[in-house]
Amino acid sequence: MRFDILKTIYIKEMLDQLRDRRALLSMIIIPLIAIPALMVGMGFVISKVQKNAEDEAKTLGIGLKISSPEIRQAIEKAGLKIVDKPDLKEAVEKKELAAAVEEIDNPGGVPQIVYYVDQSSPTSETAGDLLRAILSDYRDSSIRRRLRDQNVPEAILTPFSLKRVNVAPERKMAGAMWGTMLGYILLLLMFTGGMYPAIDMTAGEKERKTLELYLSSPAHRSEIVLGKILAAMTAIFITAMLTLASMVFSIRNGGLAGKNKEMQQMLKTIPLDGHAIGLIVLTMLPLALLAASIMIAIAILARSFKEGQTYLTPLALIVIFPALIGGMPGLQFTPTMALIPIFNASQVIRSTLLGDLTATNFLITTFANIVYAAAAFYFASRRFEDETVLFRT
Amino acid sequence: MNPTKPGGAAIQVEGIRKTFADKKHGSRTAVDGLTFEVYSGEIFGLLGPNGAGKTTALRVLATLLKPTSGTAILNGFDIVKNPSEVRGSIGFLSGDMGLYGRLTPREVLRFFADLNRLPDAAARVEQTIVKFGLTSFAESKIDKFSTGMKQKVAIARAMLCDPPILILDEPTSGLDVPAARAIEDSILEARNRGKCVVFSMHVMEEAEYLCDRIAVINDGKIRMIGTMDQLRAATGKLRLREIFLDLLGLAENRN
Repeated sequence: MRFDILKTIYIKEMLDQLRDRRALLSMIIIPLIAIPALMVGMGFVISKVQKNAEDEAKTLGIGLKISSPEIRQAIEKAGLKIVDKPDLKEAVEKKELAAAVEEIDNPGGVPQIVYYVDQSSPTSETAGDLLRAILSDYRDSSIRRRLRDQNVPEAILTPFSLKRVNVAPERKMAGAMWGTMLGYILLLLMFTGGMYPAIDMTAGEKERKTLELYLSSPAHRSEIVLGKILAAMTAIFITAMLTLASMVFSIRNGGLAGKNKEMQQMLKTIPLDGHAIGLIVLTMLPLALLAASIMIAIAILARSFKEGQTYLTPLALIVIFPALIGGMPGLQFTPTMALIPIFNASQVIRSTLLGDLTATNFLITTFANIVYAAAAFYFASRRFEDETVLFRT
Repeated sequence: MNPTKPGGAAIQVEGIRKTFADKKHGSRTAVDGLTFEVYSGEIFGLLGPNGAGKTTALRVLATLLKPTSGTAILNGFDIVKNPSEVRGSIGFLSGDMGLYGRLTPREVLRFFADLNRLPDAAARVEQTIVKFGLTSFAESKIDKFSTGMKQKVAIARAMLCDPPILILDEPTSGLDVPAARAIEDSILEARNRGKCVVFSMHVMEEAEYLCDRIAVINDGKIRMIGTMDQLRAATGKLRLREIFLDLLGLAENRN
């Protein structure tokens, strides 16, 4: 291994990639522009839908067939409009009403009040929630009135009070959610970000007939493959860092939360400090080498850029699964799991944001990924020694 | 054709055989026991139809492929034992040119100068740019070049390190007459400076114009080696096309 040759190869590959629009798109534009846009857009759409539903629930109107004037008053007090329709159920179905309340005769039993909601419509759901609150308030006040009439103290209804306390601090809930999402997006973009450079440097060179000249130069094949893998790794690592930066920015500025105050508050509790980011960056390094080696090793088998895409696209899809499974609630990150490549990285990211990453899990993950990267590197080097791979026709 | 006085064997090929594993047909022998020598200051042509094994033979000499058996010594280095040193002694060029479209000629030349560890790389690149008339477009991306401009860059790249041996695989294929002539002139000029040039072609006229000696090759085997006059005498034919067909054994049994 001669370092001046390696440096020459690395510089040429980087220069070539930085002038490739496709590589720049997946490496820089998508993480820096598409991800924050997606985050902010999602937050915007969610809060917009919510706001619309609230407005519409009030303007569309509530159908009412009920004897109690108190319920009518309570509904009007909540700012809901009352609209008359002959068939309430049908009107809700046809979205002519946001929701409806109907008193049904129940001879011999207690009176029954039914409210109709269309669960597939956010507007109707919102109106239904309001109605439910109004009706149960009415039920409670009826009970209290009856007790008063019978001279029974109200306290008889409450032998004890019940309170649910969620011991998971806000930061933990936010951490679980964001840790899964961050791991998922980071891993996915690392593989898509590395795909174009990896194919371009291998199958692309075959297609443009430049590989032959490369191989006829005094550079050793091991130097060529290492230079290419390091360049692909750089591209992947740049993608990962830019994705991380724009995700952190989105979280910090509550992109996904939109105007939802609770969500914004929750997001601010995530401890994305230098320490956490440092751990994530350290986890990404061997993973970038692993991804680069695998992709170069596979892409060199292809004869053309298109064929390379056919081989590597499924890889990006395969990567999604460990990242998705890693987000399952109740999953405990054990040292044995830290041996599973890619999955372990998504778990380290999640644990980091949850704040429960152990040193053992982190070290096993990093060490395991270095070993896998070395194996993939060896595999890729062997492909470059194989003339049936290099000169496939 | 004036045979030049050989300055010593720069290439000695000894019984090179190259067999490819083929899933459908078991195995296929592309080059079947080639033996020849090429001298410094000589242009040696491998002439044969498509699929004769010319490209494979040149790729073996350039150490891109390992021979199944046999070997060759180039500039004193064995292609099997010292492939890296062999690659340091050759300039390789194929008809595809193989240039990096997103780089400029200066960057491509510098890249190959550094891969060859030229001690005065920067200066050599500048000299080459001037010598091959690339000055006006040395800073533009190769993707935007015409075929003729690309060809100039490709030749400049092959000759950049001033290697003692040039291996050219159908360097003029797909070129128009002026562009092909530019390549042919470079080949003649290299020969006159004492270089050893091996190149492949499938057009007899080109062989007659350039080659000191010609090996006619078909089915991976050499049918005959000699000067143009020797080929004429052996076949008793005058027209180039007839000589070619006769040497390939196709003159009588054409279907």
